[in-house]
Amino acid sequence: MYKLLLSWRYLRTRFIALASIVSVTLGVATLIVVNSVMSGFVFEMKTRLHGILSDIEVAAPLLGQISHPEVHMRIIRDVLGDDIQSMTGVVRSPAMVTFTVHGRQMTQQVMLLGIDDESFGQVTDFHPYLQNENKKEAFTFNLEESGYPEYVRDSGWEYRRSKAQQQKRIDLMRRQQQAYYDTVAADYIADNPQLYQQTAYTSPVAASDDDRAIDYRPLPAQAPDFDKIHSSNQGLDASEIPATGSYTGRDGKTYRKFKPYDPHAEFRTQPAAEDFFDPEKDQHTGIILGLAISKRKTLDEAGNKRDFYMVRPGDDVQVIFATVGQNAKPVSENCTLVDFYSSNMHEYDSSFAFVPIKELQKVRGMMDPLTGDSTVSSIQIKMKPGADLDKARDALIAKFPPEQYPYDIHTWQDTQRPLLSAVNMELTILNLLLFMIIAVAGFGILATFFMIVVEKTKDIGVLKALGAPSSGVMSIFLGYGMSLGMVGTGAGIALGLLFVRYINQIAEIVQVVTGQEVFDPEIYYFSEIPTIVSPMMVALVGLGAILIAVLASVLPALRAARLHPVEALRYE
Amino acid sequence: MSNFESKIDAEDSVATLQRPDKALMWTRGLEKSYRKGSLAVPVLNGVDLEIEAGSFTAIIGQSGSGKSTLLHLLATLDAPCAGEVHFNNRRIDNLPAKQREKLRNEQFGLIFQFYHLLPELSTLENVLVPKMVQDGFFSYLKNKSNYLKRATELLEMVGMGHRTTHKPAELSGGEMQRTAIARALISDPSILLADEPTGNLDEENGDEVMETLDRLRQKENLTVVMVTHDNALAQRADAVIRLISGKVA
Ligand SMILES: Nc1ncnc2c1ncn2[C@@H]1O[C@H](COP(=O)(O)OP(=O)(O)OP(=O)(O)O)[C@@H](O)[C@H]1O
Ligand SMILES: [Mg+2]
Repeated sequence: MYKLLLSWRYLRTRFIALASIVSVTLGVATLIVVNSVMSGFVFEMKTRLHGILSDIEVAAPLLGQISHPEVHMRIIRDVLGDDIQSMTGVVRSPAMVTFTVHGRQMTQQVMLLGIDDESFGQVTDFHPYLQNENKKEAFTFNLEESGYPEYVRDSGWEYRRSKAQQQKRIDLMRRQQQAYYDTVAADYIADNPQLYQQTAYTSPVAASDDDRAIDYRPLPAQAPDFDKIHSSNQGLDASEIPATGSYTGRDGKTYRKFKPYDPHAEFRTQPAAEDFFDPEKDQHTGIILGLAISKRKTLDEAGNKRDFYMVRPGDDVQVIFATVGQNAKPVSENCTLVDFYSSNMHEYDSSFAFVPIKELQKVRGMMDPLTGDSTVSSIQIKMKPGADLDKARDALIAKFPPEQYPYDIHTWQDTQRPLLSAVNMELTILNLLLFMIIAVAGFGILATFFMIVVEKTKDIGVLKALGAPSSGVMSIFLGYGMSLGMVGTGAGIALGLLFVRYINQIAEIVQVVTGQEVFDPEIYYFSEIPTIVSPMMVALVGLGAILIAVLASVLPALRAARLHPVEALRYE
Repeated sequence: MSNFESKIDAEDSVATLQRPDKALMWTRGLEKSYRKGSLAVPVLNGVDLEIEAGSFTAIIGQSGSGKSTLLHLLATLDAPCAGEVHFNNRRIDNLPAKQREKLRNEQFGLIFQFYHLLPELSTLENVLVPKMVQDGFFSYLKNKSNYLKRATELLEMVGMGHRTTHKPAELSGGEMQRTAIARALISDPSILLADEPTGNLDEENGDEVMETLDRLRQKENLTVVMVTHDNALAQRADAVIRLISGKVA
């Protein structure tokens, strides 16, 4: 009882000791704040890193193929069983995207992904990162009328139409200009005939008899009616082909006019107006680019930073990539930019481009034109939440050993392993360093406690004289240390949690006071400082701090316990 | 005093190690010396004494003659280099620490020259300290009302009934010493060991404290051993033990 009472009284009357635990409070608060912010950042970063990567990928080598992907998927499903949530095939190829910015050609290197509209979004976090409102809801590779974000508000069909009309106007002006120049030139020639006098062509080679026989007269003005000939064509025998007229040859004889058989006739039919590609109404294959491919920083009139978009949804871009197979050749496709995606991972946003998988398979030669069977570059797998990715990966590697299959099987974490382990190490070291702060606080407590024990020597003597055992005296000081630790830790936890709760406001205040931007959303892509408070972490930090306070009071308490009562009483 | 001397045979302590009649506490051949480097400074050289139950014994001697040292040995606060201390038919100087603590807590009432109250506690709490030491947490809470009653009663008796909530720093020397007396009495000890209880007080306060002691002694039928170097005070005692050069003269 006296232990409690005295611990409590010492706690209340020794404010210097409270000062010594301010360091515990600060240490605990710092630990909590730093841990929360770091966890927040790491979580955000992991989400982003994971973003458009699937949990597990079974990838063919670059420019290679996985044939019969549906068979592979069946095998994978057999191996992994119920842990699989969904799967999708993806075609992947390095590519170059070329677009025109103010008449200048810009080319950027990208990783082109051919994705399935439906299943890709189920395997990765693709849809939430899209910028167009409608596409987030119902994804297609079509250009949208509306729903584009504020920063590229004037995008989509409206923009494409006005751009196409503008282009048409420019073309028209060019033609009119050319016509004008032609008349001017014609007038000039008429006025200065001597400058343009035609001289007869004489070949330096002696003309042969045959040459002289060649008739250089222009073709008849009236073209033969080939269609009519073809429609009534039944065979290959020229004599059976009905004559559609006759003409007189150079030799003065009369010849039949006929149209030879044309196997490509149907392609030569005059296309209807709506079959022509009209940029006002039509789009090429849709392509989605990472936002960072288009975005550049610029300054407005006032000198403030502003974003400039080199291409925007509605523009056409040219994509160049290689075909698959033995003799890979570059092919180029026109695509229409239909949307951006922005996962806020610069690494991804600046390198990925998405097109429909069917188009890519067709153009790259990954589709059998007869059977329609297609190949993919990789199979992406999403596992059910909580599934052990490393185990699943190992199972797949066992099924598709690299000795027999050229596949690279990895989890998203494998892809980002160096970064993730660097971040983890950083977190560990940071925690270690911060715990040192509390350890330092522990030494502060140690020193203060020694002083208090010296100051209390007489009281210790009295207590012992009155029959208190050494262990009792010791527990007074241990209890004192523990209560100091608890008070300090409690205050630290409260302070830390409050700090985390209002961290953004605090950052603002610091910014106002120092004029230095504490947290630049442009750099971190977060509008706010992300924080995650884990109760486990708070509990561990609290326990650790209390333990250190108790440990620091052990030595002084031992000293107090060992005091000889007579010596202590003699002490004045 | 004479009846004590007749029984003491310091030269042959081993032979006389039977219990003297009526003695509540007695010692044989107590020796204590302090080491000063390699040099041993002898303070007590074979002290034999007996303290009768219910008596008031004064220990007098010059400053530095070893009175306090002797009292500490009697209270088992320190261990003698040689010799024995007996209390209630039991040798107590070589008891294990736990039993000595129990003894000090329950059987001895200790009063010091410098009062030695705990500055963080109120008068009442100071009086209750021996009880808190004695009881565990729960038994203390259980008995608390009894203890409180007894403590207030004792404070009343020493004339401190009106100052139960004061801290020692707010009391005069005499008041502190009377509080210390109340604390010494809370466990109903069989023997009160006081080391110059009035040594630090002026005459008036000293008299007051002595009167209180006297009164209580009669009322509670206490055995009192008091160290003093005031001959006048020693006159009040039933027996006087004079220490000269480490021996009972
Ligand atoms: N820890 C110690 N180390 C060395 N010598 C000591 C120690 N404690 C006491 N002494 C010596 O023992 C002798 C007796 O001391 P003690 O305190 O018993 O005297 P006292 O009779 O009570 O004197 P006073 O009347 O001044 O209180 C003194 O000479 C003192 O110097
Ligand atoms: Mg003394």
